[in-house]
Amino acid sequence: MENRPTSVWTSNRFWRRSATWVTGVAAVLLILLTFDSMGQMQMGTAEDIQNKVTKRIPSPVVINYKIDYVLDPYRGHEVPVIGGQEVDSATGKVSSKFEEKENFFGRSDWSEEEARALIHKGKLTIQAKNCMDCHTLLGNGAYYAPDLTKAWLDPAWSSEGPLQAMTGASSKEEAMAIFLQNPEKYPTHERMMPNLGITPEEAKAVVAYLKFMSAIDTNGFPRNFGKIKGAVDARK
Amino acid sequence: MFEPCHDVVCSFWSMLNQGPMTLTIILHTLIVLPMVWIYFDEKKKLQQGE
Repeated sequence: MENRPTSVWTSNRFWRRSATWVTGVAAVLLILLTFDSMGQMQMGTAEDIQNKVTKRIPSPVVINYKIDYVLDPYRGHEVPVIGGQEVDSATGKVSSKFEEKENFFGRSDWSEEEARALIHKGKLTIQAKNCMDCHTLLGNGAYYAPDLTKAWLDPAWSSEGPLQAMTGASSKEEAMAIFLQNPEKYPTHERMMPNLGITPEEAKAVVAYLKFMSAIDTNGFPRNFGKIKGAVDARK
Repeated sequence: MFEPCHDVVCSFWSMLNQGPMTLTIILHTLIVLPMVWIYFDEKKKLQQGE
């Protein structure tokens, strides 16, 4: 074999082959990762909750359960916990027990169909009233008004919180629904929310959507939510 | 050290993703190693005067 001096770096063919390889592999990887993301985003079912299977997006029946937000030292951020938490003593990994229920507008037996219909109505209302003009939901929207991704878990709306006391309601969901129908009456933020003509039924649906959204595992997003006093590890 | 699943929903990628950076390193290795082979293959061909 002849061993003459050569320069691979100035060879057109080398760069063409490299570019073809990189582009081809990247394209295949992106397609595979897209299918993987679609699997991750698949909404869970009521059976998943019965069988204690955690999904990133849980079934709409989570509105029947108590939802907490706790710091998972294993994953390094806060995670939503549905119906009570279980902690792995070895790794510190937090998982949901799917046991503790709580009433949502007086009931904790919302069927999957009912809950799905309610959440769907909430989604349509949120779109119709253009909430994202001011608020952020799951990373989409504006920061003129508070981020609503984890709004359900905001301790200000809990039974000891000032916002629930302000509306005079006896539960978190009722307080939120009353506020949504008459936002101009209650100063909850430095920039007051306008009255958008939300009906009682729509308000109920929006609150259901907020509760469902808070149970979605968003890898700790929004990051600053945990800074709200009492929002994380509330039951400790 | 090796976790069978490192994600909320298990998948092939969650096996490769053992911690921060690992999935990235694995996928880049997949791309870069054959490029090293392409380099030496081209070098061989150029030396042979192809």
